[in-house]
Amino acid sequence: MKKKTVAVLMTAVMAMGMVSAVSVQAGIEDKTLIVGFDAEYPPYGYMDDDGEYTGFDLELAQAVCDLEGWELEKKPINWDSKDMELNSGSIDCIWNGFTMNGREDDYTFSDPYVDNSQVIVVAEDSGIDKLTDLAGKTVGVQAASAALDLLQSEEEGGQKELADTFGSLNEFADYNTAFTELQAGALDALAIDIGVAKYQLNSRGEGFKILDETLNTEQYAIGFKKGNDELCNIVNADLQKLADDGTVAELAEKYEISDMVTLKASDDTSKDDTAEEK
Amino acid sequence: MSFQVMLQQLTVGFGQTLLIFCLTLLFSLPLGMVVYFGRVSKFKPLSWIIKAYISIMRGTPLMLQLLLWYFGPFYLWGMNIGNYKFTAIILGCSLNYAAYFAEIYRSGIESIPVGQYEAAQLLGYNKSQTFFKIVLPQVVKIVLPSVTNEVITLVKDTSLVYSVSYIEMFALAKQIAAAQTTVIPFVIAGVFYYIFNFVVAWVMEWFEKKLNYYR
Repeated sequence: MKKKTVAVLMTAVMAMGMVSAVSVQAGIEDKTLIVGFDAEYPPYGYMDDDGEYTGFDLELAQAVCDLEGWELEKKPINWDSKDMELNSGSIDCIWNGFTMNGREDDYTFSDPYVDNSQVIVVAEDSGIDKLTDLAGKTVGVQAASAALDLLQSEEEGGQKELADTFGSLNEFADYNTAFTELQAGALDALAIDIGVAKYQLNSRGEGFKILDETLNTEQYAIGFKKGNDELCNIVNADLQKLADDGTVAELAEKYEISDMVTLKASDDTSKDDTAEEK
Repeated sequence: MSFQVMLQQLTVGFGQTLLIFCLTLLFSLPLGMVVYFGRVSKFKPLSWIIKAYISIMRGTPLMLQLLLWYFGPFYLWGMNIGNYKFTAIILGCSLNYAAYFAEIYRSGIESIPVGQYEAAQLLGYNKSQTFFKIVLPQVVKIVLPSVTNEVITLVKDTSLVYSVSYIEMFALAKQIAAAQTTVIPFVIAGVFYYIFNFVVAWVMEWFEKKLNYYR
């Protein structure tokens, strides 16, 4: 009985070893684009109703892979260790509502494709209407996020001065907890990306509002390992192609971020033509 | 997302949790015994090294150790770690738990009275016979409740592999919760953990009763 159990377990271990050996071989052919993304970041990357990973960024990545004949591997990563994942080569790029501003020196970035502002979300009845009302309040921000960098930056355009007026600045791990804390009153305000804010407010319904005053304006781009210009150039060219044939606009509409996508067809008339054909 | 799909997704994730749990136990339980022998070795340098090992394993967070096992080879030797994640997780968890098990074994083995060894010697048992036939069967009974404690902790610690982006049940629950903006997946995950630990406790209790033949 005992021997049998051990035998079964050993077989399982060996089988797993074989599986990993096979995937090593596939990696050498270099036809797989491994995209690292935070699977808790709708609408850019998240799990859909059928349990599949999807989102604006992932569908765009799929479209690029279709053009190149690559296999797309969607790899959910822990956002805190994104640099380690990228530098160690376990992912090819970070493609997930990745803010490029202030990070230009650390990554090789594609052309920006989404214009994104950092905004403040508060409870509707909180009495907070402008940034100065946040003095003495508890503000939440995602750990290792662009909003956090912004609130800690003392450079031009940084909001360290504003952050210093807060009662406290609390870092959270994911948006779901943050919104629950906001609802429950543990946080007075959240500093987050406008795309995420809109998605959350849409699915959560009443009770929240976005302040008219924004913290800044930023852009999303695809982050490659510093110096990986080869892959970056291919993806850039493909993105332009996808913008020209209307795929980007279609996806933007599907995910309700049309007014934020900056990647437009190089010739506007051609875009109108394709739109009419459809 | 329907409740059924959520349940189905989390069941898949639970498979991963279970796999990590089983493999960690498979390696760490015997390894703990090896560590114990090193710990009480008469060869002093070995015993010092093992003592330092136990001290580090118990003194630093498992999450940190996992990060080190996974990313360390790249930062130290530039190794490609693309397919190495699962190995790193099992390595990290097993080595960590072996340290705890070694100390549990030690507590059990050292609680056996000297008289037992003397009696065994008098009856003509040699050292290994004494250990395997007289001491070990009693130790198993003594340490079982402490081992159960550790095993239950391990079930919950499997969620730490999220730190190296390995997707198991808890990571999936977080993802679903984020996409659906609901806390139901956490409730389901909690029920999963509880039921599994209930089974673990039940099995261990059954073992204890079975080994209780002298009472």
